[in-house]
Amino acid sequence: MTTTPNPAREEILGKVRMALLRRIDAPVPPVPSSTRVPSRIPGAAGVEIELLLNEIRKLGGHTRRIAQRDEIAGAVAELVRAEEINKATTWETAELAELGMADILRGLGVELVSPHAGPRRLAECDLGVTSVDAALPETGTLLLRSTPERPRLVSLLPRVHLALVRPSALRADLGQAFADVRNDGYFVFVTGPSRTADIELTVTIGVHGPKALHVWSTELS
Amino acid sequence: MTQAQLFVTCLGENFFTPVLKDMVRLLERLGVQCELPEGQTCCGQPLYNSGFISQTMEPARQWLRVFGRTQGYIVAPSGSCADFVRHRYPELFPEGTREHAQAVETAARTYELTEFLARVLKVQDVGATFPRKVTYHAACHILRGLGLRQEPKQLLQAVRGLELIPLPEEETCCGFGGIFSVVYPEVSRAIMENKVRNIQASGAQVVVVSEPGCLMNIAGGLAQVGSPVRAMHLIQILASGGGAD
Amino acid sequence: MSETRFSSREIVRIDFRSNVQHVPPHMPPSVQKATTKFLGTRASVVDLVGDEQWQTLRQAGHDLRLHTITHLDYYLEMLEENVTKAGGHVHWARDAEEARRIVLEIARGGSRNVKRAVKAKSMATEEIGLNHFLIDAGIQTLETDLGEFIIQLAGVGPSHIIVPAVHLTKEGIAALFREKLGVDAPTDPIQLAAIARAKLREEFLAADMGISGANFLVAETGTLVIVSNEGNGRMCTTLPPLHVAVVGIDKVVPDMESLNVLLKLLPRSATGQKMSAYTSFITGPRRTDAENGPQEFHLILLDNGRTRILQDEIARETLLCIRCGVCLNVCPVYNNVGGHAYGWAYSGPIGAILVPQLLGTEVAGDLPFASSLCGACAEYCPVKIPIPEILLRLRHRVVEGDPVGGPSASPLLRVAAEVGGRTLGQPWLYELGTQLLKVIQIPLRKDGWLPNLPPPLNRWTMSRPMPAFGADFRDWWRDRTPEGRQHNVARKIGLGALVVGLITLAAWLLARKKSR
Repeated sequence: MTTTPNPAREEILGKVRMALLRRIDAPVPPVPSSTRVPSRIPGAAGVEIELLLNEIRKLGGHTRRIAQRDEIAGAVAELVRAEEINKATTWETAELAELGMADILRGLGVELVSPHAGPRRLAECDLGVTSVDAALPETGTLLLRSTPERPRLVSLLPRVHLALVRPSALRADLGQAFADVRNDGYFVFVTGPSRTADIELTVTIGVHGPKALHVWSTELS
Repeated sequence: MTQAQLFVTCLGENFFTPVLKDMVRLLERLGVQCELPEGQTCCGQPLYNSGFISQTMEPARQWLRVFGRTQGYIVAPSGSCADFVRHRYPELFPEGTREHAQAVETAARTYELTEFLARVLKVQDVGATFPRKVTYHAACHILRGLGLRQEPKQLLQAVRGLELIPLPEEETCCGFGGIFSVVYPEVSRAIMENKVRNIQASGAQVVVVSEPGCLMNIAGGLAQVGSPVRAMHLIQILASGGGAD
Repeated sequence: MSETRFSSREIVRIDFRSNVQHVPPHMPPSVQKATTKFLGTRASVVDLVGDEQWQTLRQAGHDLRLHTITHLDYYLEMLEENVTKAGGHVHWARDAEEARRIVLEIARGGSRNVKRAVKAKSMATEEIGLNHFLIDAGIQTLETDLGEFIIQLAGVGPSHIIVPAVHLTKEGIAALFREKLGVDAPTDPIQLAAIARAKLREEFLAADMGISGANFLVAETGTLVIVSNEGNGRMCTTLPPLHVAVVGIDKVVPDMESLNVLLKLLPRSATGQKMSAYTSFITGPRRTDAENGPQEFHLILLDNGRTRILQDEIARETLLCIRCGVCLNVCPVYNNVGGHAYGWAYSGPIGAILVPQLLGTEVAGDLPFASSLCGACAEYCPVKIPIPEILLRLRHRVVEGDPVGGPSASPLLRVAAEVGGRTLGQPWLYELGTQLLKVIQIPLRKDGWLPNLPPPLNRWTMSRPMPAFGADFRDWWRDRTPEGRQHNVARKIGLGALVVGLITLAAWLLARKKSR
């Protein structure tokens, strides 16, 4: 609420009210129910994960399903080799700590940069690793929050983004994803790697955001 | 007996006498008694669409004078004219006036011909014969104004000997748009030439255009490039029998 | 037509016909490539939803947006409260000049001295001519969306709302990069994008201020929603310490739940994507210093004529627009002329209704007539804006005047309409006219056509012949009955006498003139 009267504000709101013939504090009906769409009914977790990864692949992302804990190190090693990872940075969520992501990377000789380092340092990283706060299978979408453990730049500046998805992150649709984050200061829905078709409509993957997106589901018991 | 008051339209009257004659023949063949109310001029749409609403009142009043005292369905060979009478006339006159009541009453029984066949007479096979390769241009008012997408093609498919060929970009405008064609002639021409190219590419001998304005535009466009493809109103094909051109 | 970026200060009357006559030949094919592609991808994702469900979504989108703008004061106040609670600053700008001034004040306020700004794509900032203004004030203002970056280098406006540089070839863009960036640029789109990525990365990291628009403003939470694909939007709103958003007041939605419907409609309609690559939800500046993100966030709510648009019950539906661009893609006019011909920031069908209402019909009165009223736009619009209906409304304003200015229709046209209206109200005059035309046309007639007519009808015959006048139907109808036949004979005699009389009169007048 403003304490000092703002002439521009008063003028604009006044014009709105006049145009709509509404008095100040006139009642407002609730948003019409015709504008709400019913929630999607999800399938079984396994089916949802396959749908999610399939959508991501269609968009040029790379996917993998990890069923055993001992597969992770090998998978990371392959990624490090294939994408020539020298420097990496990771979120500091419990999920990643539990997977031992930082140790695995160090073990492979990858230099770990703190996710709280300055942007220029983070921009030098080849790999940014995050977990995921929600996953929407229908569109292949990942929800990433922004908290001290989840710096935004980790999924934005490095050349490659690796996102790890637990089945518990699955949400049937957008509406259900909002429930978790409506009071957050920032969150982003990521659907496939960054792209443009601005030059003669030729699709280019990896414009300003990461050039490559890898999404692994970790269905560990 | 079903009665139809013929609403010939200004373009229909001035440029498409053969279409009007065929409309009478077709309707009479289907058992509809036709009347031609005297004193009709133009529904006023060109004036309204140019922004001249107050100047539309005189033609509109004249139309109501002519058709207001009739009985039965009012049938026009034009979707845009039928649509105009139906949707605009009630808006032109203040509620509570006699003219408004007349507008509402006549609007409820005004139809474009294809619509009349499909939704009132509910016929698909009108007993026509037309052994030609025919393609169909979906005129904008017929398609979007009146919501007739499949019906015209169903009528064509029931014509004996007729081979219906798809038209590329069938639902794209022909570029007529009434005054648009003379206000922005270069754009109108570009759109029209695209339509003509598509018609030529379709391989059809005849293109069906159920709207007088669009028919003028497309027929003219085909003539301009010396194309042998003939542009005809749907009515002319439906009125055909015995394979005569 | 000027190809510089649009600023409302510099607007002169938009002459659509002249602009059309100057459209370069490569423009329509380039534009059509884009529109065809987007309509194709749109069709596949809409098919997945199914037509019935899609129509339900469209109606839901329409009802939602209409509910919001018809209670706009309520939702704007709610938005302001929640942005402020989240630590953001809300400013109100009545017009373009005020909005520009506020941005500059923010850039120079307190201890700040912004020198370098990076911009995410925003139609609102185009509308107010922000870039030129800031650059003139000594603040480097760089577009970071690849298409916008390219046209900024080229010094031209956008030719399409989603892919603003689609009219430029890769060769042209490579040459542009060579000239303006001083780099060795190959004519390969992927490598050109890489050049832009490298150049802009440095700019993102060094910028003092990030400027953006927003696709939606969520009143319930005070949230900006930004739908993008490249990642530059995230960069602009995360890296610089200061984030300024300029957003039209019509972008408000009531709550988060509204995005369920709107995010199903927008990306599918715009580019045929199920979701864009990045959809950001930003509520205020960062909450703690331990997070990434700007320390300071300012939202500038822009009126610039929108409150005036609200006044008309039908025309106000213009404000439902979610800027998807599908109306451009289906429009036969837009597909044959491209975006520049519309003369300002917004083109295509939405431009034809928005621009005359923002700038007035005296400036933009040509635009409502730049349409064949085919209705394809209304059929595809995800929020069911009745565009042809609004076009007709605006045509009426050109004739009668509007809240901004007086009538602007040509006097000649007005006279023609008066004469036309009266003639059509008198059936005897009309019928006489139809018969006279059959006679007058004789010298011009050729094989059932009229290939050349005098002005203004030469505007028709320059492209195709007019059919010959042939009002014979009433005669034929009357001939079917004996009384009718008699009536016909009488009329023919009368008309013949009239024609003979007129020819005699004309001959006599001509003889008199010669003898003088």
